[in-house]
Amino acid sequence: MRTAYRDCFDQLQPLLARVEKPSRYIDHEWGTRSSKEADYRACLIYPDVYEVGLPNQGIAILYAALNREDGISCERSYVPWIDMADEMRAAGVPLLSLEGAAPVASFDVVGLHVPHEMAATNYLEALDLAGIPLLARERGEDDPLVIAGGPSVYNPEPIAEIFDCILIGEGEEHIVELCREHRRLRDAGASRTEMLRALACVPGTYVPSLYEVSHEGACTVHGYTVPREGEHVPDVVYKRVVADFGATDPVSQSVVPYTELVHDRLSIEVLRGCARGCRFCQAGITYRPVRERTPDQIVAAVSRGLKETGYDEVSLTSLSTTDHSCCSQILERLNRNLQDTGISVSIPSQRLDSFGVDMALQVAGEKKGGLTFAPEAGSQRMRDIINKNVTEEDLERATRAAFEAGWRRCKLYFMMGLPGERDEDIIAIGELAERVLQIGREVVPKGQRGGLSVSISVSVFIPKAHTPFQWCGQLDDDEVRRRQKLLLDSVHDRAIRVHYHDAATSLIEAALSRGGRDMLPVIMGAWKRGARFDAWTEQFSLDRWLEAAHDAGVDLRAVARNSFELDARLPWEHVSPGESRGFLEREWRRALAGITTADCTRSSCTGCGICPTLGVSNVLVGDRS
Amino acid sequence: MSEQTLFRLRVRYVKQGRLRYLGHLEVLHTIERIIRRAQLPYAVTQGFSPHMRAGFSSALPVGTASNCEWYDVFLTELVPPSEAFERLKAASPVDLAPVKVGYVDVRAAALTAFITCAEYAVNLWTGDASATESMVHEALEAIRVQGTIAYLRGKKEKSLDLTRTLAGYALAQAGEGHFLLTLDTRMDNDGALRPEVLVGALNNYLDGTPDAPIHSTGIQHLTQIPRYEVTRTAQYALSSEGTHLDPLYVR
Repeated sequence: MRTAYRDCFDQLQPLLARVEKPSRYIDHEWGTRSSKEADYRACLIYPDVYEVGLPNQGIAILYAALNREDGISCERSYVPWIDMADEMRAAGVPLLSLEGAAPVASFDVVGLHVPHEMAATNYLEALDLAGIPLLARERGEDDPLVIAGGPSVYNPEPIAEIFDCILIGEGEEHIVELCREHRRLRDAGASRTEMLRALACVPGTYVPSLYEVSHEGACTVHGYTVPREGEHVPDVVYKRVVADFGATDPVSQSVVPYTELVHDRLSIEVLRGCARGCRFCQAGITYRPVRERTPDQIVAAVSRGLKETGYDEVSLTSLSTTDHSCCSQILERLNRNLQDTGISVSIPSQRLDSFGVDMALQVAGEKKGGLTFAPEAGSQRMRDIINKNVTEEDLERATRAAFEAGWRRCKLYFMMGLPGERDEDIIAIGELAERVLQIGREVVPKGQRGGLSVSISVSVFIPKAHTPFQWCGQLDDDEVRRRQKLLLDSVHDRAIRVHYHDAATSLIEAALSRGGRDMLPVIMGAWKRGARFDAWTEQFSLDRWLEAAHDAGVDLRAVARNSFELDARLPWEHVSPGESRGFLEREWRRALAGITTADCTRSSCTGCGICPTLGVSNVLVGDRS
Repeated sequence: MSEQTLFRLRVRYVKQGRLRYLGHLEVLHTIERIIRRAQLPYAVTQGFSPHMRAGFSSALPVGTASNCEWYDVFLTELVPPSEAFERLKAASPVDLAPVKVGYVDVRAAALTAFITCAEYAVNLWTGDASATESMVHEALEAIRVQGTIAYLRGKKEKSLDLTRTLAGYALAQAGEGHFLLTLDTRMDNDGALRPEVLVGALNNYLDGTPDAPIHSTGIQHLTQIPRYEVTRTAQYALSSEGTHLDPLYVR
């Protein structure tokens, strides 16, 4: 028997007294959309706590799309923080949805968002709390269909066997089609196996149980994934792209939280995709093509969204908002409309040129906190390898303009461990930061120099699937630590603060980015040893992972470190954002030669293959500068 | 913008149901959002970081309900009170709904300065179903006579002065192991009576461990009182004759 759908808040309520932030669990926010009476129920879960998950735009879009559909009701859930999870287990209370406070196991479909690799143990935590079998093959006729989707599905193999279906690409149309088909099959009395076979025919749907791993021919130690003998499923599952991005509702959020969030504001997605072509960047491939909304649509959406939610800040989101061909015009119009309301506009990151600073100035008002730039690498040689088409002059001009405009704090993002990196490139990071500080001291009047600061944040490069660097291994964690020390030693000025990422977390992220289905026992072993919320530095423990890997006979360091042969079939090539392998190989060779590649929204086609493969094209509403 | 062009709308609202688990800052932000959703012509402070001109009555602890919370919002245009009320109501979650609204003098004292008295109703359930009214009463008297309650707020040691803050109380048995305690309290700049501190002390007396530490956290987990619910039932000032002054009818 399927668990009954019923309100169980009375079971949760006594626990609220014992946990921090009870408002994470109480629901009743403004703008929830689910309906009490529904023929088919979906529960979407973000694999982290409420305040991290609520602002997620992907979930908001799918929540709105499903609740618009007749007869379908969609609710939300999040992973209870460790204090609440322990209380729930002790009291025998299962994971509940928010809106109906109903057991997650009672829903027809349970959808987990896949935001990044470090969420892996939290899928298990959520399913275990819900009382749903952890692996697809262990689920029976009464268990919900467990699906996944999100930005980090482009090497699904490490987590593939947890899910019945994985949705590849843009979900707003896909998830509705999938749920409709699932409802039809359910009403027709189809068995679980029949359902999975039929759902694999919904374009963009990867059903891991209908595939198996092969090691035949040239491949990596992780093998590659092919349809099982006799299964009529696609060899390659291509990502979904919405038919007309401009026709989708730009106001995706409706639920307004009580709890204060990190990103507590209205978000309007002003464009999708980025074609700058940074070679380390997975999103730069997987979100193509580039599609812009019109200024009229954006301005109207901001007014409507603010009115519906009551937020006092609106963020214009995308991978690179200042690349919008009408960015300046949009900001001017918004500033005019929002005058004297106390409502502010923000843009997530700044382009590294004086145009970027001009745009930042348009949204800053009187308040000028810090300005963030991402040169990504310290030397020109390295920036050419990664195709970050930015010169030292660009950075100097941008930071000079920022200091002149009144900013005092400047934050610079870099990566270390990039392919071809030498010690001199690390030292160049420190030199670049010192150059920026020097410009600040030239520009900023003497009396104000006390507030002047430059901080640099250095993450560890992690090779990602479907990028030109997908064949590269990750730098060994000991070598990462040596280079981090080298960086610290090469920054002399005390006005420069250096932050860097934990080498151990990066090691696990790399292993989960590069491995295959052989990673699943490691993930399960780590979770059984207590790993959850691994994205939270203070919760993460490398030892759990190393012990689990040891038991599973997997050398995590080797998985992260070893590079792949160019002619090997890779563990993730059966799911695809549509890029051609030839393009990635060509980009890899150009990287090694230090040759850059242009942005196709500003020049001609660079041949990534996505437009012809998926039958899509870039949609710009003006000329890009 | 001169003060003359502003109008000060005073709103009484409830905090109840599940929303009693909201913290004070969460309530503040939610109310600002309600005002923006209601599209009231709110005034904005000038300067470095412009924000809505609004003021609130004193914080309610997490877990405490109320039917008499208050806030002021300054408007740049006069909106008829009935219309303002309807717009706020339509923009509010029901468990934070407005009860009544009206305009007060823009120069009137802030709510936190005006309100000096608060009444609470505390429903409490003792773990021991045979507990009698006289047992509970005896414990309360012992606490009252003691005059102060030492407690912890986070790691800070604090002391609640009952002689100044507790004007009176009444106890009634409402059922088996179920008691209704009403509190008449006073507040000033030096502090207010947080009912959960008194409930914590009562628990310790009933437990026979009167010196056990009390943590002021809003919703505590207690040994002798496994469940309790606190509701603020009135907030007012006292006139020189000792009559109650409603925050909405001040000059």
